[in-house]
Amino acid sequence: MTSPPFRYARATSVDNAIAKGICNGSAFIAGGTDLLQLWKAGVTAPAEVVDISRLPLSEIDCSNDTLTIGALARLSSVAAHRDVAMHHPLIADTILASASGQIRNMATVGGNLLQRTRCVYFRGQDVPCNKRQPGSGCGARDGVSRQAALFGTSAACVATNASDLAVVLIALDAEINIQGGAGARRVCLSELYRLPGDTPAQDTTLVAGDLITGVIVRNVARFAGRMTYLKVRDRASFEFAVVSVAAALHIENGVIVESRLVAGGIAPLPWRLTQSETMLLGKVPSDAVFVAAGDLAIQGAQPLSENGFKIELLRNSVFRALQTIGGAS
Amino acid sequence: MSDRSVPRYEAALKVTGRAAYEGEVPAVGLLHAALVEVPIARGDVVAVDASEAERTSGFATMVSYADAEPLKPSPATALIRDRAVHFAGQPVALVVADTLSAARDAARAVRVTTQARPSVTHMAQALNTAYVPAMVGRFPSVSNRGDATAALADADRVVRHRYETAANIHHPLEPHAVVCWWEGDKAVVHTSTQAVFGTRAMIAHAFNMPPADIRVISRLLGGGFGCKGQLWWPWMFLAMLAAKKTGRPVRLELTRAQMFRLVGRRQETVQDLALGFSTNGCLTGIAHHVTAQSSTHAEYSDATAVYTRYLYACPNVTTSHLLVRTNEPQPVPMRAPGTAPGLFALESAMDEAAVRLGFDPVDLRVRNFADHDQEAGRPWSSNSLRDCYCIGAERFGWARRPAQGTAVDGRWRIGWGMASTMYPAIRQAAKVRVQLAADGAVLVQCGTQDMGSGTYTALGQITADALGVPVDRVTVELGDTVLPDGPFSGGSQVTASIFPAAAAATAKLRATIAAMAIADEASPLAGQRLDDLEFRDGSIRSRSGNVGEPWANVLARKGTEGLEAEGESGATQHPDLTATSMGYGAVFVEIGVNAGLGEIRVRRVCGAFAAGRILNPLLARSQYVGGLVGGIGMALHERTETDRATGRMLGETLADYLIPTHADMPEFDIALIEEDDPHLPGSVKGIGMLGTAGIQAAIANAVFHAVGKRVRSLPIRIEDVLGRR
Ligand SMILES: Cc1cc2nc3c(=O)[nH]c(=O)nc-3n(C[C@H](O)[C@H](O)[C@H](O)COP(=O)(O)OP(=O)(O)OC[C@H]3O[C@@H](n4cnc5c(N)ncnc54)[C@H](O)[C@@H]3O)c2cc1C
Ligand code: SF4
Repeated sequence: MTSPPFRYARATSVDNAIAKGICNGSAFIAGGTDLLQLWKAGVTAPAEVVDISRLPLSEIDCSNDTLTIGALARLSSVAAHRDVAMHHPLIADTILASASGQIRNMATVGGNLLQRTRCVYFRGQDVPCNKRQPGSGCGARDGVSRQAALFGTSAACVATNASDLAVVLIALDAEINIQGGAGARRVCLSELYRLPGDTPAQDTTLVAGDLITGVIVRNVARFAGRMTYLKVRDRASFEFAVVSVAAALHIENGVIVESRLVAGGIAPLPWRLTQSETMLLGKVPSDAVFVAAGDLAIQGAQPLSENGFKIELLRNSVFRALQTIGGAS
Repeated sequence: MSDRSVPRYEAALKVTGRAAYEGEVPAVGLLHAALVEVPIARGDVVAVDASEAERTSGFATMVSYADAEPLKPSPATALIRDRAVHFAGQPVALVVADTLSAARDAARAVRVTTQARPSVTHMAQALNTAYVPAMVGRFPSVSNRGDATAALADADRVVRHRYETAANIHHPLEPHAVVCWWEGDKAVVHTSTQAVFGTRAMIAHAFNMPPADIRVISRLLGGGFGCKGQLWWPWMFLAMLAAKKTGRPVRLELTRAQMFRLVGRRQETVQDLALGFSTNGCLTGIAHHVTAQSSTHAEYSDATAVYTRYLYACPNVTTSHLLVRTNEPQPVPMRAPGTAPGLFALESAMDEAAVRLGFDPVDLRVRNFADHDQEAGRPWSSNSLRDCYCIGAERFGWARRPAQGTAVDGRWRIGWGMASTMYPAIRQAAKVRVQLAADGAVLVQCGTQDMGSGTYTALGQITADALGVPVDRVTVELGDTVLPDGPFSGGSQVTASIFPAAAAATAKLRATIAAMAIADEASPLAGQRLDDLEFRDGSIRSRSGNVGEPWANVLARKGTEGLEAEGESGATQHPDLTATSMGYGAVFVEIGVNAGLGEIRVRRVCGAFAAGRILNPLLARSQYVGGLVGGIGMALHERTETDRATGRMLGETLADYLIPTHADMPEFDIALIEEDDPHLPGSVKGIGMLGTAGIQAAIANAVFHAVGKRVRSLPIRIEDVLGRR
């Protein structure tokens, strides 16, 4: 495919980036590992690409029980950071199960959270896709739908979110800092994503000029030793999840007092399994309880012709993840 | 390690990044090319309008069917001479400009008007149009030995199933590229091809010019696997037309996405296979019927069921091949053509039969070993398949195979499986020229090419051995039509083909030097008997007389500038053969299935291969391992996706089209079983295809062994084996 040229501008400061980012047709580039693929595939054609990679937003800090990660920190730096590896092994492990070493050296945390769906119609050409070309139809719904979502879809779009890190960060109640034309704000990461509805072209709640500056994860010590990210994939490495589950349990006196279950690969955004989480509360961990959590997780799933297997896979993955972390410690 | 394990001739160039590929050849005034594609899957081009493109900066020219029309009609020019559109994403024009991005900008500005017509985007939509091609490769499409229908009706046990294989893409790392220019009426074409002489012949035909006026050069290839052949020619011709039109050199390189569509695929197959047995485990009847995809602009069928005619002893065998034309890209041979999909079916069914009959899978195969070629009714030139079973089983520890469904490792359910592999050993005509300089340096030349599989190394080694010099004295030149005619690189036949030609050339040189020495009063060998002389350690020596001298001295005293000789050898004459030649192998695998999650990972592979004499164990091992990795890909990962509504291929990137990563490759234990074969020059058989076939069935059989589920469709994925926790 041929891709139209774009102007390149290097942001000199956060404010400068925002000012440029507000302009119509501009796009931020951080590591570029997703943006450039999309550009080469003809999916996106920005008039101006604003390079934010040199902004001073790559600090990683772990103090006062709070982990702060600059949005421009490279995935490889985060995974290798001593404090992350020590206090947040779940984050480190999840990153190391994402993409490849080369890509992690380039990819940033902010870019990872904002990477776009892997739907092959979205990244294709000459095929319908409402997300790429609003109103053209959804090719995946009646076509190649193995990747498609089971939950949260709309008539317009059935695509999944591909980020591993987002699944885990949402399980850890992460927040993000955003700066934009209207100033700075902090929101829960879960509020960043939106369901496709009638407007699938819009993945997030960000508006033009909004720059993610950092990610904040508060104390998760109560889950220590009882957190896992289960990623099921078609090959052993360098591949997105078919289905994934981030699970965390807080067990006191042999009883589950808090739980987190978030699934990836099955919805347009990291999918919180609230019913299963709630059911677990007050229960003594056992295989039977974990099976029940798996059964609840799949309620309401809406499969298409090729992705029905993900229902069983999700159920089994929830069980396996809970079993992995729910045993005697 | 054997002293025959010589490292790659071009290893240092490649690992230091200095290896220059043909697409990198510099040329003054070079123009860059981009292809203009159309979205429709079937129809006609009404108009190609370049008026807007002409205004883009750097634009040089556009060529389309109007420019290609004067080319002579042939399958190689059909796609570019006609206005017909046969598949979605088909190029209809080529634009050249000063830079690559200018060419791409210009290509985007070309306006193509098309008239779409109803298309067939999958075999399943047109099964009623299936037809029998005349031939599948060099074999008849249909075969009947005995009466398979009656035998299957009478059999004590029948295993009858449908097997399916997905379309795969070759994906050599180096994409197809050409840098070409015209010098008056003569053409110089640097291109990545598996056949420099075949390419020259097609250019000569298409452009109606003498072959001598065309030079095709392909000195290094970054892989081929079967796709650097005929389907590349139309796009290369467009580049040549643009070079002619502009009078400037032109460079075209395919994008990775175009490699999914424009240069071939392993065809999709649906195979109905029935095996009939007597209760004592002997095959009594086999029926293997294949339906496969071909395009609407060319015809190709793998010899998928052909090997079912040979592998086992069975009096009643019927096979057939059908093709269904669709508006999808055209298939071509891909590494282990025919054997990879065909043996998946046959060797899966044999495993099912072993379970049904209560035989060990290895024993059942040994029991049905074919001690001669039953199809042609003649002996094998050599056949060590039983040694492959035996040695492979021994090294793998097959005797300790756990009962089906019992082995676990943590949460992984473990399965073992095995299968056979085979491939015909044939030769093409070849010429090899060897030059000796007065200082003893050796130059060997052949116009075949090295796909990356080791042809430089093998030819250098053969020559060095024959002349009794170390390999580093030998310079090897390949991949150029100014060199002696060499074979195309395909069908695992290059080494076997050039061996006798090199042997003939070096034999002539040895005879000349020996005669010179005997006749030379100044030589310590003066007056020695010719048949007593040998070439060793750079010298010519008398075996009995214990005298000798460096053979370069013989040349030097005569004041010759050097010597030169050419050797020639012929292609396999199939009708005249007194014996059938094939290479064989047995592959054993251990896989794990992540219980309840369906992930399948290969944990251990042992391949035992018997394919004549091994010239270089290091190269052979690398060929087998590479082949096995490709086979793992076909078994577990590789599958093209097509949107049936539009006919458009989806996921045209290596992020979407999965192939094995290093983490998917276990350790490979390779047993090289050497054979003497009196029917073959130097006992050399091809080896490149063997590893790529067989392992698919071995993996499927191991999956059954692990989880009790038969998967008869490739690739085997999570959804196929997902069971309850
Ligand atoms: C082959 C392959 C395999 C992969 N496998 C995985 C995998 O297994 N798991 C996984 O999670 N990911 C995977 N990825 C995705 C990869 O992790 C992302 O491409 C990467 O994290 C994106 O980061 P980046 O900095 O390169 O983003 P860019 O490409 O630079 O940007 C991505 C998007 O985010 C926007 N953006 C970037 N930073 C900011 C910011 N601070 N504020 C606002 N907007 C911003 C950009 O405008 C753009 O729209 C894979 C990618 C590839 C190519
Ligand atoms: S699922 Fe969404 S992204 Fe995929 S084709 Fe449909 S609209 Fe496009």
